[in-house]
Amino acid sequence: MTYPSVYPTGATLYDPKRCWNGYTIFQAKEVGALLIDMNGGEVQLWKEFHGMPNRILPGGYLIGSTGERNTAYGMQDYVDLVQVDWDGKVVWRFNEYEYIEDPGEEPQWMARQHHDYQREGNPVGYYVPGMDPLVDRGNTVILSHKNLKNPKIADKLLLDDTIIEVTWEGETVWEWVCSDHFDDMGFREDAKNILCRNPNWRPSGGGMGDWMHINSLSLLGPNRWFDAGDRRFHPDNMIWCARETNLTAVIDKATGKIVWKLGPNYDETRELRELGWIIGQHHAHMIPRGLPGEGNIMIFDNGGWAGYGSPNPGSPTGFRSALRDYSRVLELDPTTLKVVWQYTPAEAGLAVPVDANRFYSPFISSAQRLPNGNTLITEGSGGRIIEVTADHDIVWEYISPYWGKMMKINLIYRAYRVPYDWVPQVEKPAEKPIERIDVTRFRVPGASQRGPRRVVNVEGVLPYWPDAALCVLTEGEEGGSK
Amino acid sequence: MSYTLFTATGCARCKIAKKFMDEKGIGYEEHDISGEGKDLFGQFYRNNRNSVYRGKEGIEFPVFTDGTIIRQGVGAVITFLRAGTRLDGFIGRSELSHGWMDGIHVSEGDPALADEVAEVLGFLKKNGLKLQFDTNGKHASVLQKLLEQGLGDRVIMDLKGPMALYNALLGEEIDPQEIRRTMELVTKFPEYRFETTVAPFFGQGSETGGVRYLTPEEIGDTAKWIREVTASNKQPYLLRLFDPDTSPDQRFKSLVKLSPNSLLRYRSAARKHQVLTEIERT
Repeated sequence: MTYPSVYPTGATLYDPKRCWNGYTIFQAKEVGALLIDMNGGEVQLWKEFHGMPNRILPGGYLIGSTGERNTAYGMQDYVDLVQVDWDGKVVWRFNEYEYIEDPGEEPQWMARQHHDYQREGNPVGYYVPGMDPLVDRGNTVILSHKNLKNPKIADKLLLDDTIIEVTWEGETVWEWVCSDHFDDMGFREDAKNILCRNPNWRPSGGGMGDWMHINSLSLLGPNRWFDAGDRRFHPDNMIWCARETNLTAVIDKATGKIVWKLGPNYDETRELRELGWIIGQHHAHMIPRGLPGEGNIMIFDNGGWAGYGSPNPGSPTGFRSALRDYSRVLELDPTTLKVVWQYTPAEAGLAVPVDANRFYSPFISSAQRLPNGNTLITEGSGGRIIEVTADHDIVWEYISPYWGKMMKINLIYRAYRVPYDWVPQVEKPAEKPIERIDVTRFRVPGASQRGPRRVVNVEGVLPYWPDAALCVLTEGEEGGSK
Repeated sequence: MSYTLFTATGCARCKIAKKFMDEKGIGYEEHDISGEGKDLFGQFYRNNRNSVYRGKEGIEFPVFTDGTIIRQGVGAVITFLRAGTRLDGFIGRSELSHGWMDGIHVSEGDPALADEVAEVLGFLKKNGLKLQFDTNGKHASVLQKLLEQGLGDRVIMDLKGPMALYNALLGEEIDPQEIRRTMELVTKFPEYRFETTVAPFFGQGSETGGVRYLTPEEIGDTAKWIREVTASNKQPYLLRLFDPDTSPDQRFKSLVKLSPNSLLRYRSAARKHQVLTEIERT
């Protein structure tokens, strides 16, 4: 988060030999769905085509939305979920979830889709060998919204999360409503108290409580846990995470019940305390079979501010009670909660905690496991996408050059890497390495080169110590806290 | 005959019942179950447990008895005091609170007694209660009278199904014109909604000659009927799940209960004609 005023955008690092090369798709802020190559070349823009997120399907198809509901009345309600072809022609659309009549707006059906969806054939929406999503048929599972009241949670109108399954023909055949399962989520009394008073109140539509804010949804798909007899991880079951509650959960497709969960409390067992408080997390999913780390849960643990709990100096009311100013990408064994792999400020080479906030996105963001073991990380708030190796080397980096005109931020909600052959309409692009620039010597025009014009010596100075005693302890120092 | 009225401290409905009895000069003994009447009511409850209803929010007061007959809730008490058992069926148990009263069944009872029903409801309305009626289409004339007297604040029409199956679903003959008339009247109340329970029935359309549930297509026809009669595709329309376990009809006890998600196809069919169709949340 320590950004200089001037820094390069586009591709800034690229090692073709160590990357899992392909195209990358993301929603460029207030521009559209943008497909780029490894050198940051803009292969195609689906102009002003929305997407939360956008995804490429085999054959050069793109999924996204034609637009968002007027935010005076809706909160991240996308009007539809649409599949278009390479030329932008709509080949599939779903919108018949709720008929909406907003004041001054044309009455219309809306999908109220937000944050995620999955097309049959692929559990997670990114490339998995042998698990191509269907492009001309199949059901789609969609994360949607529904307004309702539930006095167990609060006496206020709630913006609830729902999961629906719709057919290719557009018929809804399955629905799961989040608030129905409130009793099984494990909220303590302090959390229920503040949740009742402030269920994350948002002003849209006269006010509604976005109490959970589920921001990811995927299927588990085939996995070794289920093969070994653990029914919680049935391939049809779904995993989601909710930023406002710090809760990640697996629901049983057949019963709707929560069968596995992580959070909302992280102080109740030794394993949870070792894991540490997950805060405002995004893109929780099980790494699919066929990819390195298959069966583990990948989470972008944003940090930032989230959760309902007791009042504390950082949260006088207990609303957004947990705080942390850096992010972590965690790969967990879901049965032991042990961290199998992670990318945190420490792995990024940053001093923790004093310089940790240089790997930090307090909202949005994601992590995709690639077939060669690399991980594509969207550090969303700063518009940065990096590909890191299992050994934590950054082998590709891209900074979005698209700052919004209305919202002056270059955020990327979630980026995905796809293989070249998923886009057969264009020739495979050249892959030109981008060497790491030595920033200690890089100067913009007009700036002086590094190096003092004159050096003087001062008698009696002591040498610098290798581990400077900073104002706060850093990890690794004796007695340093994590 | 001595009358006993069990009341609760602060119970607004108890005050309405007492006011009615005072105005009519009906003598009674009052026992406040929050005070001196606690033990007496405890004994009364133990002796009459099957006749005193305990809902989600506890026991509704007032509870009235003449030593033989027990009536619970202000509506049932006043109705009994006004007309004895002649209006039974019209006014039953209320589940609503916060100033609302339901359990007013327009399609039950003797329609010839509509004036007496209106008189009782008028007293309740005058004393501040909001009244919710329910109807299945029968007794449109009663609904008309209640509408004309401005007595209803909300009406729920339990539309059994499409016109072609109505008699089979209702279990009796009814003139479709009366149902249409009721549907038209329903939309004139300050608040209203149509409901259909996806219910089982015997008779027409059953391939096995036995029992079967309504189909999505038949729910679609029902929604279409609402549209045709009310000239609107934006009527509030709720689909409800049938529960064989709580059905009073023993013949349905062995039926498999439909899953909540199975109603989604019904909703899709209904939404072709009524875009605001929703499924009841249980």
